[in-house]
Amino acid sequence: MSIIVISADDRAAEDQIGSRTAEITGYGRLEYGLLKEIAAKYDIEEEKLAEALEREPSLLRGMPPKKWYYYLACIEAEVLERLAADKMVTWSLAAHLYVLGISHALRVRILSDSEKMAKAVAEENGVSLQKARKILAKRQRQRVQWSQAAYGQDETDPALYDLVINLGQIDPDEAAATIAKAVGYRKFEPMTYSRKCLANLLLAAKVKTRLLETMSDIDVQSRDGRVIVTTKALRRDKQKKTLAIKELAGSVEGVNFVEVHFNNDIFKEAAQSLR
Amino acid sequence: MAERLEILLLDDEPIVGKRLKPALEKSGCKVEVFENPLEAMDRLEQKRFDIVVTDIRMDEMDGLQVLERVLAKWPQTKVIMITGYAMMALARESMEKGAFDFIAKPFRPDDLRRVIAKAAKALGSSIDFNTAGSKQS
Repeated sequence: MSIIVISADDRAAEDQIGSRTAEITGYGRLEYGLLKEIAAKYDIEEEKLAEALEREPSLLRGMPPKKWYYYLACIEAEVLERLAADKMVTWSLAAHLYVLGISHALRVRILSDSEKMAKAVAEENGVSLQKARKILAKRQRQRVQWSQAAYGQDETDPALYDLVINLGQIDPDEAAATIAKAVGYRKFEPMTYSRKCLANLLLAAKVKTRLLETMSDIDVQSRDGRVIVTTKALRRDKQKKTLAIKELAGSVEGVNFVEVHFNNDIFKEAAQSLR
Repeated sequence: MAERLEILLLDDEPIVGKRLKPALEKSGCKVEVFENPLEAMDRLEQKRFDIVVTDIRMDEMDGLQVLERVLAKWPQTKVIMITGYAMMALARESMEKGAFDFIAKPFRPDDLRRVIAKAAKALGSSIDFNTAGSKQS
């Protein structure tokens, strides 16, 4: 059975359509509520996880980039672990930005009725419609910046999705019914290849989480238990960091080989070596 | 369906047939190996196989064409696609056209055995694929 990944420009619409799609398909739900479990498992405040999903890192708010990436990695690993069970609908956990290349994942983008949203914002904040539109445009810019900083993707890009639904033209119940019908297409059925791709993403996410607990500048890819870690280090620290990465990554269940690559800024490295 | 699963294996790299044939025969399957898709299609015109395992990228005819022609002639046959150029779009297209499964190369013979066991089950085969090898040997 397949996976449905829903993303929307409006949280309420995402919740409504995600829940309705889960009801129609009988699939399990994977949404915001999972943060509580993740918080308990990794001993992180739930609010911090929620904040990491909403905003970019900020030293002023006590969310340094290193922690931000770690929190996002924890969420990613836990979501992917649950998606491996199939028959799941997920939303609000940024899965549309890291469940990539999985042929049995139907990726859906919901566009809200922008005028309706502007009216709601105007009422909520006691401002004019024109001002409300500006507030919405700013929020959208912030989401684009966030998604690019977190996962290198623009979440508003329609090319990321299999299906884009405009709620200005289609009501939420119809949208959920359309999603439920689309996921039944044969092309979204799981296959050996897509299950392996998901298993590879999961293993990479687990390794990334383990490494980001103590390190930064980590990128991980995996294939059939073989893991490639790309990181940065000064020349004199490379050997030490390689050993540390191999030990930590090798301790993750399912990893049978670890390769470490360094992707350094050579100009910065040269400047540092002259100090 | 014959008592033994009859499999046609098509891949233009000879090493693939050489490695997979004995592994599948050990599991109790009857395997015919082809490196040329046109010759494989000629054989498929004459005979129905339970399972066809085909590479996708081949010179004379690609695996998707093989898939379409096999299913047009023998709708019950399960077609398993294997490729070294696995991509999401190709995987989806294969499934949409009726492939039973899609496997990325490189894979271990056991990976294919597992998929063939699944196909055998879908065909209603009573062969216990996991023990067939030991029974045969």
